[in-house]
Amino acid sequence: MRKAKGQTAAIVVLILIAALMLNLWLMLSMDYKANFDRYHDKFNDGHFTLTIDDRDGAVGEFLDKTFAGDKRISQYSLVSCLHMTTLIQYNGEEFNTWCVYLPKQTALSCKVGRSEIVEDSAYTSGIYLPMLYKSGDVSVGKTVEVSIGSNKLNYTVCGFLNSTMLGSHNCGLAEIIFTEDKYAELEQSGYAVKSTLCSVRIKDKSINLNFEAEIKSKVSRQFPNLNMVSNCYDIVTQSRYIAQMICSGIMSAMAFFVLLIALVVIASNIINYIQVNIKNLGALKAVGYTSRQLICSLLIQFLGVTLLAAVIGVGLSYCVFPAINSMMISQTGIPYSMRFLPLPLLITLLILCGAVALAVWLSSRRIKKIEPIVALRSGITTHNFKRNHVPLEKTKAPLNLALALKTTLSGVKHNITVCITMLVLSLVLVFSGLMTKNVIMDMTPFINLIVGETAESCISVDIEKESEFLQNMNADGRVEKIYLYHTINVTHVGGAELMATLCDDFSVVNNQTVVYKGRYPKYDNEIAIGAKYAKQKGFEIGNEIEITANGNTEKYLISGFTQISNFLGRDCLMTRQGYQRLGTLSYTNYYINLSKGTDIDAFNAEKKDLFDGYVNTVINIQTTVESASAVYVSLMTIIVIAVLVLSAIIIAFVLFLLVRTMLNNKMRDYGILKSLGFTTRQLILQTALSFMPSIILSTVVGLVVCCLIINPLMSLFLGSIGIVKCTFSLPIGFIASTGIGLIVLSFGLACLLSLRIKKIAPRSLLVGE
Amino acid sequence: MSEVLLKTDKLCKTFSNGGLQQHVLKNIDLQLYRGDFTVIMGASGAGKSTLLYALSGMDTPSIGSITFGDAVISDLSQDGLAVFRRDHCGFVFQQIYLIDGMSVMDNVLSAGLLVNKDKKDKKAVVSRAKELFAAVDISEETQNKFPAQISGGEAQRVGIVRALINNPEILFADEPTGALNSQTGLDVLDTLTKFNEQGQSVVMVTHDMRSARRGNRILYLKDGVILGECDLGKYVHGDESRHEKLSDFLTEMGW
Repeated sequence: MRKAKGQTAAIVVLILIAALMLNLWLMLSMDYKANFDRYHDKFNDGHFTLTIDDRDGAVGEFLDKTFAGDKRISQYSLVSCLHMTTLIQYNGEEFNTWCVYLPKQTALSCKVGRSEIVEDSAYTSGIYLPMLYKSGDVSVGKTVEVSIGSNKLNYTVCGFLNSTMLGSHNCGLAEIIFTEDKYAELEQSGYAVKSTLCSVRIKDKSINLNFEAEIKSKVSRQFPNLNMVSNCYDIVTQSRYIAQMICSGIMSAMAFFVLLIALVVIASNIINYIQVNIKNLGALKAVGYTSRQLICSLLIQFLGVTLLAAVIGVGLSYCVFPAINSMMISQTGIPYSMRFLPLPLLITLLILCGAVALAVWLSSRRIKKIEPIVALRSGITTHNFKRNHVPLEKTKAPLNLALALKTTLSGVKHNITVCITMLVLSLVLVFSGLMTKNVIMDMTPFINLIVGETAESCISVDIEKESEFLQNMNADGRVEKIYLYHTINVTHVGGAELMATLCDDFSVVNNQTVVYKGRYPKYDNEIAIGAKYAKQKGFEIGNEIEITANGNTEKYLISGFTQISNFLGRDCLMTRQGYQRLGTLSYTNYYINLSKGTDIDAFNAEKKDLFDGYVNTVINIQTTVESASAVYVSLMTIIVIAVLVLSAIIIAFVLFLLVRTMLNNKMRDYGILKSLGFTTRQLILQTALSFMPSIILSTVVGLVVCCLIINPLMSLFLGSIGIVKCTFSLPIGFIASTGIGLIVLSFGLACLLSLRIKKIAPRSLLVGE
Repeated sequence: MSEVLLKTDKLCKTFSNGGLQQHVLKNIDLQLYRGDFTVIMGASGAGKSTLLYALSGMDTPSIGSITFGDAVISDLSQDGLAVFRRDHCGFVFQQIYLIDGMSVMDNVLSAGLLVNKDKKDKKAVVSRAKELFAAVDISEETQNKFPAQISGGEAQRVGIVRALINNPEILFADEPTGALNSQTGLDVLDTLTKFNEQGQSVVMVTHDMRSARRGNRILYLKDGVILGECDLGKYVHGDESRHEKLSDFLTEMGW
């Protein structure tokens, strides 16, 4: 290795990148989520949180009674508070979420689920927001506009809070802490509804989903017409860590891809080393070295380099982590203090050293077959004499191309290395293309898959005014389409709580891809359920399931399977008539498509005024989705840029290694060709061209295959959040042009790296002087 | 008087080794003539091969000039020298230097097609290669073999075919029999002599008297200087007086 400093340096860089990414992945996946649990324990937070209208305290009493005798519960707290839908600034846009409002002292001293102030100030009158909302526009001392219901209020930001179960709109339920004076003001104004916030710690947290379903079912039976919003541990952890999951997933994939390339390169290097040094190895065997000793010497060399590179890579990962951490915090909203983690380091070293040792051992086993006498006599045999590839007499190709093809066809090891590298990079390119088209450029396909249905506006209207409201809407020229799209919780008997989406006619919804198998429910006895849940329970289309809500239980026929990430795949679709077999709706959510150019906020405000007292909430879905998706867009943009840059680095290093090895092996041939009159330019062209067939072929095949498998792969990747079948469209133009770019880059790099040929002088053939 | 093909003017070549200057060629003025079989002799380290490589454009002189026809080749760039070599020169190396990964035929054609790029030319090159192979007694079967599958003598004859494929104006040979046994060496010398008799100019470096007597002009190099020159006249097979003349010359030179 000392003699091949360039090659060693390239291997070091590849292992270093792999170590960096592996350690980042392990830090993110092992400690980042554990950080949530640390805070969850620190705040003695609940595994189930519920906020419910409680104007007279009756709900609180009922909950107290319900929890008191439940042996599954270890601890619970019931706190009087206010709650309401809230429009708040997030990422430069306004975000609509359900919020619980607590006075500062109460929030910080809750027995179960207390909050923590992470940034405080001297301001004594105002609000504390979850730290997720901290941005350039929202900082301490600034005044922010908060819409509580339909009432716009201005508050000074006194600081930021950290709460595990109520710290983000991704939890479905967020918390705003008010200073005592502002809380009293809000309470008196009546803009928010008096409620009870209940936080429950259960002994076995694995049952949190079912526990939530059971309690909600009991409460809704007792108090059918009260607003109730809840979350539970599983949903909160998963929804707050989607970005972390995506990031660590991509990181791990890239780490293993880089490691795979490094291993192929190491194996190729060793095979080449054995070929070139067969005489030396034969001589060593002749003087008594055993094969095991020779293999061990290679193992020690490569393991030494791997250890060194891995330690540097892990060190670098600690330099990169703060940037990733700040990106992640903007999505998780939970502070994370970086610290040294020995376990990821250990695992990284084990994976890398284990993989390298295996690659070295497998590729150096041929040392065992070297017989000293044969090796000393015959030395290196670089050609197998089986076939004269591209005979110049017969070929129609130009001379330089023909000679390049000869090199290509006789260099199987190089071709394998190039092919594996390009196949991996093809997958990276296709993934980048997919993300660019479906997330960065236009997020609609991603939103359709993750969120489900979107429109411009959502208005929630009391059932008694529904007809009048619909008449008004249908008469409004700005309204292109209005349809019921109401979500409500139901429970599968013997199973979990499901989030039911109700619609009068599913054929009018914008996103027709939610049901990916079977069909949308048409009749009142039909239901479409989440594919992930159906798989867990072993349901098939045509099976009957029992659903309960409001104390009523009915049977429904499964008409299809859905896939959206809401509620982690525990969702279902029913017609309104279908739901009405279980109970009635006290209000209805309508999704509205507005004509182009309509001011959505103005439209919403106008309708709210018009149906004053009957419209519960109005949501600008567009801004809500835009602000929520901004994090993912920026995250994906960074990831795509990073993987493209990484791809360029990888191809550069792999080509560097291959070209260096080729030049070393063919130094004599290049000298001969130069003496015959080949110019440096011709030889550089030949060298670069010799890589192109495998580069072009593997890139084209890789891109085509990856285009075919990327959607199933994405489905696999997103399977944990309920996605079963991805149908992202592929930007063929983008993928083709990046593929061409990669090929051109490879050719350019190969030419550049072959410039060393210039230094090869035919004089080097001179012997004896 | 024969036409001058190549001439040198105050040709010097110096190598630097660990800060020490080693003057291998010193102020050499030399003219090479068309049709001659010039032999450069001298003891080991005299600078024979260095002179050959400088004359053939494989290497550049440190000082002085080399002129081929009207062109000063010592002023050419590396790529210019490559073009000069492929257009005007042929090489036969002591170590033969065939490319292992190419068949015998491809080794020859890789040089021939470098100059003759058109389809028509290609046919002519293939045809000439076959003629040359026939002339040096390389069978069609051997033409399709790889260098490692043929004998040293065959390989050197392939080397000669490769050197002659482009009808070079000068054929340079660096100890062409150095790596061969007695009989195969003789065959190679016969081949070179035959082509010289057909008008091919040859410049050969050797320290073997048996090889040297094939030449008509013998140059003796010592310590980087041409010490003397001997005109042996055209080679005649079995002419023992050539041997005596050469022997006297070499004795005079201190061989």
